Amino acid sequence: MDRRGFIKTCTAVAAASLASPSLFINSLKAQELEFKAYKKAILLKKDGTSLKPEDVDPGKQYIFFYPHRATPCILANLGKEVPSTEVKLSDGTTYRWPGGVGPEKSIVAYCAICPHQMSHPTPEFSFINYYPENIPSKIVKRGGVIQCCAHLSVFDPAKGGEVIDGPAPQPLTAIVLRYEGGKLYAVGTLGKELYEDFFDVFKPDLRKLYRSTRKAKKLVDKCEVTEVEEYAQEVIRC
Amino acid sequence: MPRKSSGVSRRRVLAGGALALALSGMNFVVSKNTSRLLGAPRGRRVVVVGGGYGGVTAAKYVKKENPDAEVILIEKNQLFVSCPLSNLYLVGLINYGQLCFPYNRLHTKYGVKVINDFVTDIDLPKRRVYLSSGYIEYDYLILSPGIEYDFYEYPFYEEASWFYPGAFRPGSEHLYLKRLLEEFEGENVVFTVPKMPYRCPPAPYERAALMLSYIRENGLKAHMYFIDANEYPPVLREGFMKAYNDFYRGMATYITGATIKEIDIASKTIKTDKGDVRFDFGSIIPPMRAPKFLEEIGLIYDDEKWVRVDPMTFETKVRNVFVIGDSCESYLPKSGYAANSQAKVVARIVADRIRGKEPEGELIQHGVCYAMVNLRSAIMVEVEYKYNVKTRKVKKILREDNTWKVSTAKRYHEWARGLWRDMFF
Repeated sequence: MDRRGFIKTCTAVAAASLASPSLFINSLKAQELEFKAYKKAILLKKDGTSLKPEDVDPGKQYIFFYPHRATPCILANLGKEVPSTEVKLSDGTTYRWPGGVGPEKSIVAYCAICPHQMSHPTPEFSFINYYPENIPSKIVKRGGVIQCCAHLSVFDPAKGGEVIDGPAPQPLTAIVLRYEGGKLYAVGTLGKELYEDFFDVFKPDLRKLYRSTRKAKKLVDKCEVTEVEEYAQEVIRC
Repeated sequence: MPRKSSGVSRRRVLAGGALALALSGMNFVVSKNTSRLLGAPRGRRVVVVGGGYGGVTAAKYVKKENPDAEVILIEKNQLFVSCPLSNLYLVGLINYGQLCFPYNRLHTKYGVKVINDFVTDIDLPKRRVYLSSGYIEYDYLILSPGIEYDFYEYPFYEEASWFYPGAFRPGSEHLYLKRLLEEFEGENVVFTVPKMPYRCPPAPYERAALMLSYIRENGLKAHMYFIDANEYPPVLREGFMKAYNDFYRGMATYITGATIKEIDIASKTIKTDKGDVRFDFGSIIPPMRAPKFLEEIGLIYDDEKWVRVDPMTFETKVRNVFVIGDSCESYLPKSGYAANSQAKVVARIVADRIRGKEPEGELIQHGVCYAMVNLRSAIMVEVEYKYNVKTRKVKKILREDNTWKVSTAKRYHEWARGLWRDMFF
């Protein structure tokens, strides 16, 4: 982490500590390894009002774009308290994922770019999806997972996005959420980011969607949350 | 002497062509070029031979895992052309251009030196790879040269494959086979499958299904004679057999467990131990083997056809010499995806050894293959071997989805796009 990033991180962590001392401790631990602060962005419903935890249906999956205008994230309510956990990378390093947020501590968010070969939701298809308990994965025969159907990587959203099955070499990048005054915010990422490669690989597609790479890369301070089924023409599950 | 060490440059067509013929067993005598192309290696030079799925992935991932490594990729073609998805090209579902990728980003983004030349010899004791333009010394050697058609044991396939390409090697065979298919107006189509092992086990069965779909879509009054050296499709048997029965009943005769004895191009007849078949057009897939030069350098022995490697690390009997992809005898079926996965295993081992350590944790080989059963729907198979380096235990997973779906065909396209992203971006 460079000096600028470190200061940004400290600022974010200090602000977070006012809301939750436990988050402060967790964040400090995370900061040593992989936490990266971005603009604090409020999560909004389609009508522009703030998204409340009770708006996040445990039987559905949602998408928003953070920290850049073009980088998709999956939002899910796991329907149970999700405690903080240690996430291990293949090189043996670890970081502490702070767990779910909201009154039930059940809401989580992850970058929706598969760390295997970068499949991600587009307006046409969504190959990587959250499988709620009522829609179990046919691969691991259970719900409560995030799964990419291109090459069958499966991730555990209750454990910081760690890899359960398949070829992904690392966990999903976690989006760090905060719950303040009944509202949900995204404040940064945790884990290895793929944004540099994402913007490089998908440059032509992003130009079509956002007119320029610069616009696609713009950092956001508010995020509209939509059901994935509304965003993508076809949600492909397996 | 142009050193093609700073990216892709022109190959020497004449010299390279002659040497390639020599390597193809044509008994040309070509003296080795003994010019040293690069300085002496300093313990971190990795030479990768073959710019297919295995070689490209290995070259990129060694650099990604250990940027200090000096990685050199040697490939005879100027452009990568994918065999995966090429059956879809044959029936017009995708364009040829979608299968083609240049090698330049490996150099510009990852710092891999790409040398566009032919390998004429490898001296394992001296750790040298000879090219038409000179030799390169290595500390680590990763060989991923794919397959060649086995015309040594089955010479009668050679002429047949000129006229009716097997199209299991990337490039011009596919272009020509597609043209033959589009110009075809006759009655009898022949399609032959060699005995396992061969490159991409589901591919012949996918091609048969797609060609039958094409015949029907285009209103051709043709019948396919599908001569299979195997008793059944070696993978996705249930899905393929059900598809043949449901979609193509009466359009094809499936002759299984058949040994081809002779192919007479003049009379367009294939003679098998189960009877003769007359044909007007076809795709004749010859039996395959690892390239002969692997035998000449001592990595294939005892009249075998594939390189024996440690099935979990892909190291040969020579330390720091690895063979990946279709050339080696491995647990995963021969396929581009498997080569991509094996290459990552080897890249990790090599990157760690350069640092003076051995890999820890798990080495994972993963294979996913899709196959179309008609112009819209596909089936798929997944196989995985997880090797725990410490306990030396292997965990295997095998999953087949034999129920054809349109959504599986869409996943097939994303599967290929992901692979290409992984290799070239």
